[in-house]
Amino acid sequence: VTEPRARIRPGRIRRRLTVAFVLVGGLSTGALALGSYLLVRHSRLQDSSRTALAQSTLNVRVAERTLRGRPGDVRTLITRYAARGDFVTVVERSGRIPPGRLAIPHDLRALVDAGRIGYERETAAGTPYVVVGEPVPNTGTALYFFYDESRLWSDLHQLETVLAGAWAVLAALSALVGVVLARRLLAPVAAAGAAARSLAEGMLDTRLPQSGADEFGAWAASFNEMADALQGKIAALTEAQARERRFTADVAHELRTPLTALVAEAELLQAHAGRMPGDVADVAGLVSHDVGRLRRLVDDLLEISRLEAGAESVRAERVDAGDLVAALVAARGWNGAVTVAGAAPPLVTDRRRLERILANLIGNALEHGGGRARVRLGGDGRDALVTVADDGPGIPEAFRAHLFDRFSKADPSRTSAGSGLGLAIARENAVLLGGAIAVESAPGAGATFTLRLPVTTSLPAGADAVTAVMDH
Amino acid sequence: MDERVLLVEDDSSIRTVVTMGLRDAGMRVTAAGTGREGLDHARGAAFDAVLLDVMLPEVDGMEVLRALRRDSRVPVVMLTARSDTVDVVVALELGADDYVTKPFQMAELVARLRAVMRRATASRDGDVVTVGPVEVDPDAFQARRDGEEIALTATEFRLLHELASHPGQALTREQLLERVWGYDYLGDSRLVDVAVQRLRSKIEADPARPELIQTVRGVGYRCAGARR
Repeated sequence: VTEPRARIRPGRIRRRLTVAFVLVGGLSTGALALGSYLLVRHSRLQDSSRTALAQSTLNVRVAERTLRGRPGDVRTLITRYAARGDFVTVVERSGRIPPGRLAIPHDLRALVDAGRIGYERETAAGTPYVVVGEPVPNTGTALYFFYDESRLWSDLHQLETVLAGAWAVLAALSALVGVVLARRLLAPVAAAGAAARSLAEGMLDTRLPQSGADEFGAWAASFNEMADALQGKIAALTEAQARERRFTADVAHELRTPLTALVAEAELLQAHAGRMPGDVADVAGLVSHDVGRLRRLVDDLLEISRLEAGAESVRAERVDAGDLVAALVAARGWNGAVTVAGAAPPLVTDRRRLERILANLIGNALEHGGGRARVRLGGDGRDALVTVADDGPGIPEAFRAHLFDRFSKADPSRTSAGSGLGLAIARENAVLLGGAIAVESAPGAGATFTLRLPVTTSLPAGADAVTAVMDH
Repeated sequence: MDERVLLVEDDSSIRTVVTMGLRDAGMRVTAAGTGREGLDHARGAAFDAVLLDVMLPEVDGMEVLRALRRDSRVPVVMLTARSDTVDVVVALELGADDYVTKPFQMAELVARLRAVMRRATASRDGDVVTVGPVEVDPDAFQARRDGEEIALTATEFRLLHELASHPGQALTREQLLERVWGYDYLGDSRLVDVAVQRLRSKIEADPARPELIQTVRGVGYRCAGARR
């Protein structure tokens, strides 16, 4: 489950939506602003040029009249121009221009020298001008008028600033709207994701709020229908399973009373077998043997049904796994067949359950693993580990998945001395103790069961509770 | 031997075969099929031990046990269907000395019965030891406070004597199971816990805050103080 989720990056759609909003909003307002700016600039410049040209034509007419009689009287002319005040005049006489701070653009001068009227924009000494050049006919003089365009350009700059600012604000606004809308839009998706996860985690009564008659409302409705169906189905399954378990438990329980009598009767028969004729004594032996098998089966059935019903409680205390293994091996007469090595860290766990797990694992190894078993105690720094290895034929791959199921047998035709519940009981007990059992096996190379148990367990407080730290 | 055992069990097959088995083991058995009948027998004659089924018609095993414990410290072994229901703890709290889970092996049942009877009868010579104001007298098989006898069952007395004989020393549940109950490494440690609780309720001034028998967390129990 974790692998594909690592590739999923939540928030991507939200980012994409936001970016799309910013692009659409930013580009359209940007284009609009730029277009209108260019339009305004164009017409303002055109206006300015037109005004300058008209004024210059008027100026040249004045110059014609002034210079006709006295061709040298440029001074008078300049004085008259200066009275108007809104332009600066540069006079060219016989191809010579007095040196000054305002330079005449070359292109313009060439045009005017050819006897034509022209204008050009240039910046001189930090001031933007539109320069109009015009020859004064029949005087050998040309006039250049510099019209100050500072005002125009500052207006344009101001417009530029205002438009850029407005554009930035609009772009930010569209980003904001994009984020908010995306979040709004995707909130139901996120809610559905969370709901699906909590369903998966087992909170089957999780539902989506069904607000609104839009697509998401419809989606929520069908999601909820699915959840209803799922919950119903799982409830039915759980109930069926509980019924089955109850039945198993009831059957096993009902078997107890007659079984108790049978066990005692078989024992009595066995005790008096010496006084029976030979073949009857043999039958008494068989009865005793089979009653023993039946008893183990019923005991195991009861235990597994209690474990599966979650009715078992853990009585934790300090346990030395090594002592426990040694004691159980001795008690069951397995001394010759089982070797024990290593040492496990001290455990706080349920002694009887641990004994049950290990006895079942070792018993299983002895029965299916060629009559010998190797027990190894150890730890990996975090958990205590007990491995039980055998040199038997190994466990076929296909069977390994069902190894811990109830009554699972590699070869269904084979009858076994065990109840078929030993490994299931071992696993359930291990889970109850907060641990796990794993199995490794290669065909022909035996099988190794590894019991993993937490070293420190938090225990309920109470008179017989044990904390992780011991006295000695 | 000739121990006298009262068996109270409603299932006639079990009753019959257990009776036979116990007789084979050399005990004298009186069998009763109901709780009422069992109580009548118990009042009519002295027994060395009572074997009592928990599930009985009319008066159930717990009621019988309660009635017995009102005036008797006869060792009682309960026969229970399951080892881990509240039944076991309730029975132990009511003063049962031990329990055996069905189905049981006769050998196991006989061993348990013998163990409880041994606890109740074996004479134990030894000095009187004291725990606070309580005197534990193994010769008289009695515990006394200010000369007054405290009514203890045989198991409770043995447990108190074991703890009192090792003042200040923590004894593990396994050690107690072995020395008091005579069990191997897989005895049920609830036997110890419940017996300690009962003992405290009889000898402590405030059983909720025990001073004489202290719990050693993660280990077991300890009798307070040194010999005085």
